[in-house]
Amino acid sequence: MTSTLTMAQTGKAVTEKKTFSRATSVSTDIKADPAIIWKLLTTASDYTRWNSTIVSLEGKIAPGEKIRLKSTLDPKRTFKLKVKEMDKKKRMVWGDAQGKRVYTLASKGNGETTFTMYEKIGSPMFPLYKKYIPSFDTSFEHFAADMKKEAEHIQNLKK
Amino acid sequence: MTTELFNEEFNGIAGQLKSFILRITASLHDAEDIVHDTYIKALEKLHTFRGDSSLKTWLFAIGSNLAKDNLRARKRWPENVTDICKQEAHANPAFFEEAFHISKTSPQAVFEIKEHIAFCFTCISKSLPLEQQLCLFLKEVYEFKVNEIAQILDNSEAMIKYYLYTGRAKMIQVFDGRCAIINKEGVCHQCSELNGVYNPKQRFQEEVMKIEMAREAENADKEHLFDLRMNILKALDPFESDAAALQLHHLEHNRNVMEKYS
Repeated sequence: MTSTLTMAQTGKAVTEKKTFSRATSVSTDIKADPAIIWKLLTTASDYTRWNSTIVSLEGKIAPGEKIRLKSTLDPKRTFKLKVKEMDKKKRMVWGDAQGKRVYTLASKGNGETTFTMYEKIGSPMFPLYKKYIPSFDTSFEHFAADMKKEAEHIQNLKK
Repeated sequence: MTTELFNEEFNGIAGQLKSFILRITASLHDAEDIVHDTYIKALEKLHTFRGDSSLKTWLFAIGSNLAKDNLRARKRWPENVTDICKQEAHANPAFFEEAFHISKTSPQAVFEIKEHIAFCFTCISKSLPLEQQLCLFLKEVYEFKVNEIAQILDNSEAMIKYYLYTGRAKMIQVFDGRCAIINKEGVCHQCSELNGVYNPKQRFQEEVMKIEMAREAENADKEHLFDLRMNILKALDPFESDAAALQLHHLEHNRNVMEKYS
């Protein structure tokens, strides 16, 4: 994550534009156990139930595995992504040749977890096609809001 | 704890344990074996029971582990298991011959709609991942608390909550699409079909309205209807109920069909 990318208020996406790349980030505090957030993040078959930005997600989310994702940003396009890194309950990275998405969870120690999603896209040819790529801001904010809502519902399940 | 006291306590819990294991495994034979093995294992390990949990929690932990071992290599059932098994039953003349024989000779063969509702949930819950199915039954039917389920399944309370929430959400979604009792658009009418077969003189609409879940179908939200479905299961012991012989026969049939299904 670039040091020049600053986090705005919780849940609000921030985008940094450069000549050959664009990076978007969102962060939100969730009052839930990191294990719950991690489980939501890594269970592919359950995404469409809670995540309004995902049209479909096929495959198994595990290190080295390939997943097929369709987003509401561009429902006609299927992104074939490789799960590149998984550090349980802390960090996950998936991506393709054009970019990578990084999820991080950081426990605040008071029953709250900071969930951050960051994506950087780019290439030497980026200036030629960047105008065709829609803004990720709203989609990122919805993703984070959906994650927060779902994880807190689960956390607050009556005992 | 003395062996005598343990035996007394075990006998008080065995009925619930057996019904739980039956609902998880869908096999009368396996349920009986697992309950027996639970008793033996618990007796062997009785000296290790320190009262950190209730005896019931401890016994359910042993039984659940044995059930998980039993099911580890077996496939989960599809959501439309009742459709598949219905087709197989229609193609197998012996099924209805046996069922009618049971209905004429057994005192526990009075077909009741609510018993079929409970049977149906047992079958369809086997489409969930095993952890979700276990958690759902332990909480919603056998009324364990989240922390007790965490002890039974040796998992964190966070994960138990996740399994409960997602399992419940999945079952609500499935039954909303399938069950014609709670949704006029539902694709499954087996309760009315079988009631017509076993109780031809009854009017299904009159009978089904005796069930709270059916009465509230139009006005209640889906979460409440699910709670009412769980109330039906809570109130029924699949071994002691009025339709037990009939439903166990149906369950055995479904299990055999699913063993061969790919």
